[in-house]
Amino acid sequence: MLSSIFSSLFTMNFLLTAIRLATPILFASIAAFITASAGIVNIAVESIMTFGALAGILGSYATGSAWLGLMIGLVVGVGVALLIAFFSMKLGADPILIGIALNTFADSLAIFFLYLVTGEKGTSASLHTPTLSKVTIPFIEKIPFFGKILSGQYVLTYVCWILLIILFIMLYKTPLGMRLRACGLNSDAAKTAGINVRRIQIFSLILSGFFAALGGMYLSLNSIHLFSKGMVSGQGWMGIAANGISGGRYGTLLLSAFIFAVFRAFSIIFSQSTIFPVDLVGAVPYFAVFFFVTISSILNYLRIKRGNVEEK
Amino acid sequence: MTKKEKKLNLSITNPRVFDAVKLLCALLIALVITFLVLCLISKNPVKAFFTILTGPLSKRRYFGAVIESFIPYAFAGLAAGILFKSGAFNLGAEGIYIISGVSVAAVACSSITTSGFLHPILCVLAAAVTGGVLMIIPSFLKAKFGTNEMVVSLMLNSIYLGISMYLIRTFLLTKTTSTIGSKDYLPTAKIKYLYEPLRISPAFILLIIVTIVLYLVMFKTKLGYQMRLAGANPKFAEYSGISAFKLAIITAAMAGVLAGTGSAIQLLTQSSFYQPDKTATGIGFSGMLLAMLGRNNPIGIVVASFLIKYLEQGASVLYFSDTSVPSEIVAIVEGIIILLISSQYFLRGFREKMLLKEGLKKDAK
Repeated sequence: MLSSIFSSLFTMNFLLTAIRLATPILFASIAAFITASAGIVNIAVESIMTFGALAGILGSYATGSAWLGLMIGLVVGVGVALLIAFFSMKLGADPILIGIALNTFADSLAIFFLYLVTGEKGTSASLHTPTLSKVTIPFIEKIPFFGKILSGQYVLTYVCWILLIILFIMLYKTPLGMRLRACGLNSDAAKTAGINVRRIQIFSLILSGFFAALGGMYLSLNSIHLFSKGMVSGQGWMGIAANGISGGRYGTLLLSAFIFAVFRAFSIIFSQSTIFPVDLVGAVPYFAVFFFVTISSILNYLRIKRGNVEEK
Repeated sequence: MTKKEKKLNLSITNPRVFDAVKLLCALLIALVITFLVLCLISKNPVKAFFTILTGPLSKRRYFGAVIESFIPYAFAGLAAGILFKSGAFNLGAEGIYIISGVSVAAVACSSITTSGFLHPILCVLAAAVTGGVLMIIPSFLKAKFGTNEMVVSLMLNSIYLGISMYLIRTFLLTKTTSTIGSKDYLPTAKIKYLYEPLRISPAFILLIIVTIVLYLVMFKTKLGYQMRLAGANPKFAEYSGISAFKLAIITAAMAGVLAGTGSAIQLLTQSSFYQPDKTATGIGFSGMLLAMLGRNNPIGIVVASFLIKYLEQGASVLYFSDTSVPSEIVAIVEGIIILLISSQYFLRGFREKMLLKEGLKKDAK
């Protein structure tokens, strides 16, 4: 029994599950990364994902088109990000407190709107919503091994991959990206060099809202095509954790996000067997995040203690 | 201090008066927006609005329900409040509420004592110890290694839920229901009412005592001063010789004890058996909002908890007669007030104008 489960970890199916689960966490991680690069904190990723997921579903129900729903979800995500920008920059509220507040009442607010439309408080299953489909790419799907990975994914997964590349180029190869990172490294120096720090930070928040909303809609508009209470279940926080581990390194960010997805895949596969207690298996991904975040901070602490790196 | 300065200053330029005005404005704006939302979704918005505001007063048992149910929330608010006040963003109260419940259920289901007086006390103590110990983990990691305590504490919340489910399923599972729940608590473990019609129990008295003690600790002791200093300016606190590490551990332990106590009260007053994914969920998170509403002041937090629970009761009274308004509407009120009162610059322009006027008046004299 045990060996059959372990052998199932080294199959194509497992890899595909991990890739499928990685997309929302990758979106969340770049949402956290882009704001951290510009020197502000956006811990509301989780709530923007919730709002995005709900708005995507309600939007596609109202318009009858998944693509229009996607647009509405994006508008809502960016709107929430602008709300954060307004309260933290214009009205001087602590962005962390705003984030905690948004994350905490996101679920209630989502249920409020869900109830207004469907009359139910749990899921949007009663709505008939169009969904985004999987994409098969001709020719590529015939390539052994890679064909299955590169073809047959959801549209938003491709969007995610393309955005990862664009973001990399933007952050590291363009003047705009350099300015953005300059704001994060030393905002005073950036200001002296003539960069409008606040405008850059608002720009990064908007992008963050955009990515987080996409992550949320990946959860709702794809295969299960419904919104359910608590469906984001900490994936926004996994993105924030990945950003914390990365320490500003893009590759580490993506790798940690993917590792979290692998642990989610573990948890799903192990929960189908009866040899491990199902409750504990469900907590495995969270434990993995806890473990990696703690270890990375301890390593960082030791490095600073040895005096090799200056404290940031 | 001269006598003249001691005189009550009621002008808007007094920061305390200004805070109060700000709170009232936020409350007013939130109520206006709520009314507008009601206009959009309810057929009879005026009646709905007044039912939310006065519903809990319409029957004695509604008001009793508010008095009984707000206590665990107030404890969660107090726990979050002292953490926030000392600058710690440990969001672990949610998980503490869940896993302390296992301790409570274990004690409440065992015939450890036959005394109806001692049994609830033992339950509360078990929960308080569990909470106090477990709450330290994220704060310890943060203080020692600089770990992101928000992420760590949130992950621990989910981990504790898993562990609690496992423990209940393995050791205390009841055979009677299909969901995961513990056996029924022994009758001796229940918290008895002191005044049944309004559901006033010893838990209520405990809350009042704890609030007063916390207020005194916060504002009249060295420890409280250090906590506030560390929250307001951590660098300065460090340079003035306050051990940030020790302070973080003490604060977290206090918050954990408060959360554990709140969890025990929730279980023993609101349920007859324990379901980790139902009985005490969401309270720890609400506590953070209540702490923000109460501006991290213990008395403010308790008042805020009562008011929010009052509005929630009002909303559920409304829901009996008018199902077009979900009770989650209270979240809108709560959200707007929090956003506005945590904004430093909200109404600041107004206050500056008044300050200028006052200054000019003084100059003229």
